[in-house]
Amino acid sequence: MRTPRLRAVLLTLLLIVAIGWAADTLVVKIQTTQLRKSPQYFSQGLAALKAGDRLEKISESSGWIQVKTSGGVVGWIHSSAVEVTKFNLLAMDKSMKTQATASEVALAGKGFNKQVEDKYKSKHTEMNFAAVDAMLQLKTTLAQIEDFLKKGKLGESRGAK
Amino acid sequence: MKTPRFLTVMLLSAGLALFAAGCSVVQKGADVLSGQGKISQKDRDTIVKTSEAVRSTFADLSEEEEYYIGRSVAAMILSKYPASKNDGAAQYINLVGNAVALYSDRPEIYAGWHFLILDTDEVNALAAPGGMVFVTKGLLRRCRDEEMLGMILAHEVGHVCARHGLQSIKKSRLVDAFRLIGQQAAQRYSPENLAQLTNIFENVLGDIAEQLIERGYDRKYEYEADRLAVKFGARTGFDPDGINRFLKTMVGDSSSVSGKGWFKTHPSPEDRMTGLAKEIGSLSAVPKIDPVRTERFRQFLGSLK
Repeated sequence: MRTPRLRAVLLTLLLIVAIGWAADTLVVKIQTTQLRKSPQYFSQGLAALKAGDRLEKISESSGWIQVKTSGGVVGWIHSSAVEVTKFNLLAMDKSMKTQATASEVALAGKGFNKQVEDKYKSKHTEMNFAAVDAMLQLKTTLAQIEDFLKKGKLGESRGAK
Repeated sequence: MKTPRFLTVMLLSAGLALFAAGCSVVQKGADVLSGQGKISQKDRDTIVKTSEAVRSTFADLSEEEEYYIGRSVAAMILSKYPASKNDGAAQYINLVGNAVALYSDRPEIYAGWHFLILDTDEVNALAAPGGMVFVTKGLLRRCRDEEMLGMILAHEVGHVCARHGLQSIKKSRLVDAFRLIGQQAAQRYSPENLAQLTNIFENVLGDIAEQLIERGYDRKYEYEADRLAVKFGARTGFDPDGINRFLKTMVGDSSSVSGKGWFKTHPSPEDRMTGLAKEIGSLSAVPKIDPVRTERFRQFLGSLK
């Protein structure tokens, strides 16, 4: 009876340690974003980040998180761009390193993805995906938004957040 | 021997359940343990099953899944209404919308925020999941200043932030989808699984379209989007009363009431104005309208014809 009990205790401990470690690890959940020098959108970009990139959390300040990249760059990222990793129990398998969060279901090629969209498209040729692609091609840069806010006396230009 | 082994499985299951995310991850995690001889095949199946139960609601959909659902909802909208071809107007609407989104609770979204003008006289605004927002020419022509437009877009951004579109999906569809997704370890779906999953996807889109385009969201979601609009709009610097001034233009408008769009899918303007006034009254500081913005809005409206 001893061995299984010991096994249960060890596994529980392993889980607790893994969860504790997981709390400090974040994964980028959006397509692309920037690591910023200070906790605000119009501050200097330090590094380009993409979905699946893992970050180490250092501190937090009003919706922004100070993080360190795997390359050692320290900067800030908005909390809406990242997800706290769960399942670091799986960190024991090195190949799982980029798949340890809820969002990673999609990154692992699972869920409602391009393959499903392509199949749906082939069944419904009347759906206007070309117009959706055209809509998504129109990009609004942060520099354009900053200029728009400034000229319209909005955002930081009115002393807001 | 049975009790400790059961305990091991339960502890693992409970831990995984609490922190679970993706079924594939759980599957692989269970494989890892199984491969090392720590648990049996039966135990492994138990854990995978537990994880499937965990990923069961709209909140468990990933950002990328939300984006792909949103793309198809947008494709539905765009097969119903043509997009405006006016590039200058499209740029302006994207600036107003992105400004508000930047001060929302979800400034970063999977593929960024995108706003589009629909070339129709109907009065309506719609938001597909994933940050694809639509506003009709008919609605824009009713706006008198940038505050009105900013606040309407803030309301739509509110729907996306609170994932109201995804909340329209019937739970059973997601349970089926997550079970199916969890079943296959391969990177690409087999033709059979893909066909099944695409069928579920179609039903998911049907659920959202019914609420978004046909019937309208539950009233509580509309009021929540109004509350969020006041919060996001005021943070951006827009006079939140802009939304009330817009709604006043809709009061007693029988042409719109009997028509399609906005009136069919939103609560009455009078009811909304009462809630909005209360929300605005609770703000510590209320931004004021600025003539600089009104002037650029007039230029935009002039270019829209």
